[in-house]
Amino acid sequence: MLRVVGQLAALVVVFVVFRWLIGNLVTNYSRLNIGFDFGFLNVPTQFQIAYHPEFNPRLPVWRMVLVGVKNTGLAAMFGIAVAGVLGLVIGIGRLSQNWLAAKLSAAYVEFFRNIPPLVAIVFFSFAVFLYGPLPHLRDAIEVGLPGTASTLLVLSNGEWGVPGLRNTGNAPLFGVLALVAVAASAAVWVWRTRVNERSGEPHHRVLWSLGVLAVVLVGAYVILDGPVVIDWPQLSENRRRLASGFSVNSGFMSVAGALGLYTASHVAEIIRGSILAVPWGQTEAANALALTNFQRYRFVVLPQAMRIAIPPLINQALNLTKNTSLAVAVGYAEITTLTQTSIGNGRPAVQSIVILMLVYLGFSLLISLILNIVNRRLQLVTR
Amino acid sequence: MTASTLKPSTLPSATTSPLAWVRSRLFPNVRSGILTIVLAPLLVYAAYRAALFLFVNGRWEAVTRNLTLFMQGTYPRDQQWRIVAQIVVLALAFGIGAGTASAVRADVAKEAGLALPRQSPLSVIRRFWSLIAFVLLLLYFASTATPWLVVAGAVAAFLVGTLARFIPTSLRNLGWTLAALALVAGFQVVSGTVGYSWIVTAIVLAAGAWSTFKFENVEGRRALLYRALVAVAAWVVTYLAYTQLVYPGVGWDYWSGLHLTLWVSSLAIVLSFPLGLLLALARRSTLPVLRWLSTGFIELIRGVPLITLLFMGQYILGFMLPQGTNLSSISRAITAMTLFTAAYVAEIVRGGLQSIPYGQTEAALALGLPTGKMMRLIIVPQALRAVIPALVGQFISIFKDSSLLYILAINEFLGVRSLVHAQADFRAVAHAETLVFVAIGYWAFAYAMSKESQRLEVRLRAGRR
Repeated sequence: MLRVVGQLAALVVVFVVFRWLIGNLVTNYSRLNIGFDFGFLNVPTQFQIAYHPEFNPRLPVWRMVLVGVKNTGLAAMFGIAVAGVLGLVIGIGRLSQNWLAAKLSAAYVEFFRNIPPLVAIVFFSFAVFLYGPLPHLRDAIEVGLPGTASTLLVLSNGEWGVPGLRNTGNAPLFGVLALVAVAASAAVWVWRTRVNERSGEPHHRVLWSLGVLAVVLVGAYVILDGPVVIDWPQLSENRRRLASGFSVNSGFMSVAGALGLYTASHVAEIIRGSILAVPWGQTEAANALALTNFQRYRFVVLPQAMRIAIPPLINQALNLTKNTSLAVAVGYAEITTLTQTSIGNGRPAVQSIVILMLVYLGFSLLISLILNIVNRRLQLVTR
Repeated sequence: MTASTLKPSTLPSATTSPLAWVRSRLFPNVRSGILTIVLAPLLVYAAYRAALFLFVNGRWEAVTRNLTLFMQGTYPRDQQWRIVAQIVVLALAFGIGAGTASAVRADVAKEAGLALPRQSPLSVIRRFWSLIAFVLLLLYFASTATPWLVVAGAVAAFLVGTLARFIPTSLRNLGWTLAALALVAGFQVVSGTVGYSWIVTAIVLAAGAWSTFKFENVEGRRALLYRALVAVAAWVVTYLAYTQLVYPGVGWDYWSGLHLTLWVSSLAIVLSFPLGLLLALARRSTLPVLRWLSTGFIELIRGVPLITLLFMGQYILGFMLPQGTNLSSISRAITAMTLFTAAYVAEIVRGGLQSIPYGQTEAALALGLPTGKMMRLIIVPQALRAVIPALVGQFISIFKDSSLLYILAINEFLGVRSLVHAQADFRAVAHAETLVFVAIGYWAFAYAMSKESQRLEVRLRAGRR
């Protein structure tokens, strides 16, 4: 009886508090004539997004949300890639018997783990790019491709031009065929693995699948008569913008780079801890089998360490994705920055922030889903 | 041959020659040797560039000329004595705390009949070397004598505070009370008696008086009456002292710089702790409604970045309060940070609660303890003890996250840079210098805390054996 009453009381208290907060919100909003509908998503954005010349202010707000989600995803993806590779190298480096490598890795971890990621992002954005050693776009450094007239890189303090791909008509079809090629090589990989498991003959699966990939891609490229060509970066006549090539802006590099470096320190600690958690007998057994150092890591230690490392690594990927919201300090056009600008332009705050939170909850769910699948596959290997 | 016949000279020497050291640590095999040969020149070059930046090219006047700005921001200059007084009072608080803690350790050791290993000053320096190095850097940058006097005053106050170890065992609670009181007073000195915040001090003092003076030789009800009288007296004294001495003070809306950073992160962790504890207990509760509510809150908060909550505080919280309520930007940010930290603290405490073996619960139930008492006396103390290192980790994380206030245009330690670079001399230059300085500041505090948490972890693990 007391339990039921207590729970009801808790519910009532929570309800009353919410009722009070929401009631105030409704009163204040109706006083200011702001609605609670999501109709503003169809209204023109009315502002230009930096480094997005294809986006014009007449496009509706929901298109802006899509741009934001895309940029958040891009920064998170590159950040996770940097953090993963660097973290693995440094985590293994800390366990190296080479004194210099071990101490350098330890210093890296102790430094980056203990500074705020925002300081790292602001440092990249202000000290490396905006007020850093690179010149303004009009005096940009152009690195030529040796032996040709085309430019390989255009370096400035605002954006970098790198070689991109240009569609000459058949690019969408080529994209579809590229996907087919990847699927085919994956299938070949699985087939070779099965053959190896059944008959014991060498699988050579890397050669096989790369071969299939190359054959299909080259074949498609020749048949479609060069669907994409390399688009070398080039400044426009008045040197105000990049006329061609793929533009990477400093905001993106700051966010992905700084978060990659910051998270790498956490990843390194996880890797180190997981390797140390693999029983020493495994290493001794590998040594008894006369495996080389590389083989011992590749076939004995790392597979077992990874199984321990996956759950905390999921957490780090999630943290990195959530930390991309710090880009708002340097104006990189991801979802938080765009939401803030859009609220500043008079869009209703409550609905905008609800959308913002839903986007991040969606990213969180997506990442934990992907990595949980990976985790399950790794766990199944155990006997 | 027995061990006694071994001559010392035949034993392998513990110290190896430098050459042998280099060979075994840097060139043990071909691959490792190649790694050394690649890394060493890179390291030397990086060190050369860093030294060039630190000692030759760097325009450190952006930091030295604005040192006060970095430390206390735009805190009114004519009220600066409050910050100085605060530092001294806080040093006193830490001194009293350290003194009392060492006295407690000595008592425990004496009871167990063990010799207490003496702590040398060197070990303290080694524990807090990053903070000491940061203070020395500040002194190096200082252009007036004030910082030197403040540091000297703080060290003196700390040493005076450690005299607390001579407080007799029967009045041990007095030491803790004084430490807590000085901590709160340190906060009050800078904030003054804005609103009713002096009540916090009064409560601490009254509770301390209540628990210290037990009047054990007085019989029955009368002891209770005496204790209540002492508590009320403490309350009145606090009220008079604060209204006469400290009023009106400077509210936290006018704080900035490192000062604001330290207080905001401390407030967020202190305020979020009770909330997080309640959430954790609710999530472990057998009552489904409480469990759902707290699980929903925790998972929602943990799924979104802190900045979205800060935005909610900035853009929505004002609308959720009755018209005319005017919460300052900093108060709203502290609210958001408290809610955010509470969700993480709740998960940490839940981990602690789950680590307590079920036998403890069964034993408590067998003793006939009701649920409330069982939690309060048996489960929660053990759970909290187990998660202290994780809580310190959360504190480090909220300390680092307090830099997000910069995005809300609040001038905390990172944000004061915008004031520095608004000056004509530093508009487009010296960004690297100020950022390196800020990074060193954050690093010194976070590094010291993380080392301390590792030490705690080792000590607690030793206690569990």
